[in-house]
Amino acid sequence: MAATSFESSRYAVEVHGLGVRYSLRLTKKNTLRQSIANLAHRGNDEKAFWALRDVTFHLAHGESLAVIGPNGAGKSTLLQALAGIITPSEGVIDVRGHVSSLLMLGAGFDQELTGRENITLVGAFMGIDHREMAERSVKMIDFADIGQFIDAPVKTYSSGMRARLGFAIATNVDPDVLLLDEVLATGDQVFREKSMARVHELARAAKAIVLVTHDMNWVSEFCNRAMLLEQGRIVAEGEPGEVVAIHQKHAEEIRLAKAAEAAALLGSSIGTAMGLGISKLPTGLPGQDPKKKR
Amino acid sequence: MDMTQERLPSYRTSSARPSPIGSVFEAVREIRGRRRLIRYLAQADLKKKGTDTLFGNIWWVLDPLLQMAVYVILVTVIFARSQPAYPLFIFAAILPWKWFTTVTTDAIQSVSGQDKLIKQLQFPKIVLPAAAMLGGVLEFSFGMIPLAGMLLIMYPSYISIYLLWIPVVAVVQFFFSFAFGLVLSALNVFFRDIGNVARHVLRLWFYVSPALYGADTVATVGKAHPTIYKLMQINPFYTILNSYRNAIYYHTIPDLKGLAVVLAASFVLLFFTTMIFKRLEPAFAKIL
Repeated sequence: MAATSFESSRYAVEVHGLGVRYSLRLTKKNTLRQSIANLAHRGNDEKAFWALRDVTFHLAHGESLAVIGPNGAGKSTLLQALAGIITPSEGVIDVRGHVSSLLMLGAGFDQELTGRENITLVGAFMGIDHREMAERSVKMIDFADIGQFIDAPVKTYSSGMRARLGFAIATNVDPDVLLLDEVLATGDQVFREKSMARVHELARAAKAIVLVTHDMNWVSEFCNRAMLLEQGRIVAEGEPGEVVAIHQKHAEEIRLAKAAEAAALLGSSIGTAMGLGISKLPTGLPGQDPKKKR
Repeated sequence: MDMTQERLPSYRTSSARPSPIGSVFEAVREIRGRRRLIRYLAQADLKKKGTDTLFGNIWWVLDPLLQMAVYVILVTVIFARSQPAYPLFIFAAILPWKWFTTVTTDAIQSVSGQDKLIKQLQFPKIVLPAAAMLGGVLEFSFGMIPLAGMLLIMYPSYISIYLLWIPVVAVVQFFFSFAFGLVLSALNVFFRDIGNVARHVLRLWFYVSPALYGADTVATVGKAHPTIYKLMQINPFYTILNSYRNAIYYHTIPDLKGLAVVLAASFVLLFFTTMIFKRLEPAFAKIL
């Protein structure tokens, strides 16, 4: 129904040369004191970080795109930009139709309010007419299937229940473009199957879907396209199977490199320890953890 | 069926930013368009403040009364100074002042407290401080209950037609508080210690405003220190609190000229703070 009005345009989403820049000076949690200190050396303002750069792609109606990549690659930033939550620093985003973005499912719920009240509130935040939202809430509650908890404060929910409610809301507001982040991280097997069926249904109804996930099974099984992001840039795009293969190859390379680094560190510290004639190695070697940054 | 939803193609670029004055009109449209959301948020907030306490929302009635009791004891017993119907004299100023401090502290937290939602959904952020303002209005209206009780039980002779001026003064105060809270709500996203600074500023502000003392005391100070007198009169709460007291305690028409000046200044201030808010709004999701 709703999709018919977009037949004039082939694409649901068009992104051209998208760049999102974070100023590290501002992003830090500032207090007035630090800000005044920062004013003093304002000259070196070039502490900027591009979370996304030169990102260009289109998404046709009915397509579902999986965005994969290591942590900090800019996946969530991309979803936020598509949802209009953050404004691009450069480039153009053109999204046709109504976007539904409950990105980190359920994280934005008001803990003190009941599930039912949260549905009403989220609907109002999304700008959906309240009568329409009242109609839809029936479907949402039915889909979330959390029983009597719907009238209990969200703070009493398990993380799975919260995710179910979030998913139920996001997929039942009749979106033209659905953005989902880490949907499948929580929820039991039954709900996973149910949500998978629902996403399929939406894709069939000519909705476009962008999904950020770490679950590679989902990517190849369900999405018809995939995109690999690394350090804010598109590294690969195309057939899900191929992109996942590239991602796994890269991940393996990184893992090996880290292992080698760790081994080298461990080796050198054993060497030093032996050289010094210490028989027992101290527990919890410093320099062993490659992730530990100063 | 779902024709009410807007389905226009959306188009965003990095350069598409409305002019400063355009952004003020946009803010007005956003508030009008999201009236229901603002109401929901204010209701939810009131509900939350009521739960987890023994007396629930009775606190709105108790709070100002207890606060008044503290000041009455302090001034009449310790400083041994009094004037007729001193509790009413104090209450007429404490009630609106409490409204101002509550609304200011709530507004400061309103945007930064919704960080998770801001990172998940696109919505006009101005609804958040606006909801804090609406919540304050409701709370102030509840404060009319103990005021009415005091007048009926303790000071029936003070009941007069001049009480009808209270809503007029309240409108002036509302616009001033809105202008003030709006800019603080946006700044607190960038500097989290706005709340700490505000707490102390508000306390000082209370003591330099004619809340515990009247305009006559200010005039006495004025004779010795003309500059301080001038400064005290610039304070919008000099006019606002005196006007409440005129209506409740002295049975005279409030200083209408003074109120008009405060109202006009508040509108100008509101215009600029809305501009600042709209200018900072796109950065909220990135910084929170």
